[in-house]
Amino acid sequence: MRSDGEMEIALESPRARAAPAGGAAPPPDPSDAELLARVGARDEAAFELLYRRYVRPVFGLALRRLADRSLAEDAVQEVFAAIWRSASTYRPERGEAGGWLYVVARNAIVDRRRRDRHPADVVLPELVSPEAGPAERAEQSYDAWRVHRALEELHPREREVIELAYWSSMSQSEVAAYLGLPLGTVKTRTRAALAHLAAALAGEAA
Amino acid sequence: MSREPSFDELVGEAQGAERERLQRAHELLLRAGPPPELPPRLASAAPLAPFRRRRRRALTRGAALLLAAALAVAVAFAAGYAVGNERSPGSAAKPAAILTLRGTRLAPHARATLELWPARAGNWPMTLSVVGLPKLPAHAAYEVYLVRDGRPWAPCGTFVTAGSGPLTVTLNAPYRLRRGDSWVVTRPQAGREPGGTVLRPASA
Repeated sequence: MRSDGEMEIALESPRARAAPAGGAAPPPDPSDAELLARVGARDEAAFELLYRRYVRPVFGLALRRLADRSLAEDAVQEVFAAIWRSASTYRPERGEAGGWLYVVARNAIVDRRRRDRHPADVVLPELVSPEAGPAERAEQSYDAWRVHRALEELHPREREVIELAYWSSMSQSEVAAYLGLPLGTVKTRTRAALAHLAAALAGEAA
Repeated sequence: MSREPSFDELVGEAQGAERERLQRAHELLLRAGPPPELPPRLASAAPLAPFRRRRRRALTRGAALLLAAALAVAVAFAAGYAVGNERSPGSAAKPAAILTLRGTRLAPHARATLELWPARAGNWPMTLSVVGLPKLPAHAAYEVYLVRDGRPWAPCGTFVTAGSGPLTVTLNAPYRLRRGDSWVVTRPQAGREPGGTVLRPASA
């Protein structure tokens, strides 16, 4: 399906593009837009794949918005229920699938937050838009969504070195020692992971 | 607290445009922070089971499905007709706010939900779903008021009921809303029945 060719380029998986270590190249992963179209037609396998790609960004968004792990877990369920219900309304020509999913997720989470407050207190135009707060916060929230989504596209080995380098206080030498790999391998892998991330985030081919 | 990784250490001798691309990814990673650890319930599988159950049940109740579909079409048509082109929420649209109302002593069994939809051209479409309001005498109607500073401030429409059963009506608040605004439903004095507020915000 190439009617949304631009979207497919934007969301092409770096993993799918990467040359495999051996054997034939695996079939390219379906784009998010393709998955949404299939989910709209009640394709459960597509829903499962979409869930795998987005459960972590959705949970991260819910945690930031709700600041409560239990509520966030419930919100994730509601987000994916909303996606299941409304996937057929997605129109690729109106924007990329990732952005559409972000809006659906954000709305479902905001609904959840409203329900947990006093209803009369939320009938306020100021609170109507969850992005009415500082622009910086909104932008950061969306950036985190995109980055966490892009991380899901990385090969597990690449994701591992990124997580160790960025969020485990390890130098490249320490990562190499921890993984039992040559330092050169870790450096090469980390740079490749960053390149794949950059490609996924920029919506361009690596 | 994690120390910030050295970009130069990570990318080595990358130059030019490639370096800029990697730098951008690096900055976004720092900005985003780590993705959360998934709890087991979310990590296991997509929450398809409820959907499957719902669909099976629907398939085994063909007549109910047809009835529900007809009802949904009727409700959608009525809402769309009433609201006109002011909004087109579709299934993905979300209310801007939801207000729960409960019955007062004049209608102790009544309750309602008021959904406020995103404004268009200064109009805030509202959907009021109510149950438990008795039928009024002829020529009398329930009135919905925007409440500001604790008092009914402006009308938002009227409606009647055929009985105490569930009813959904579409209304409009063509006003510039403020923090603290709310809504109530009132009824007029009719015969021996006193007038007054029959539904007010549940948290009031």
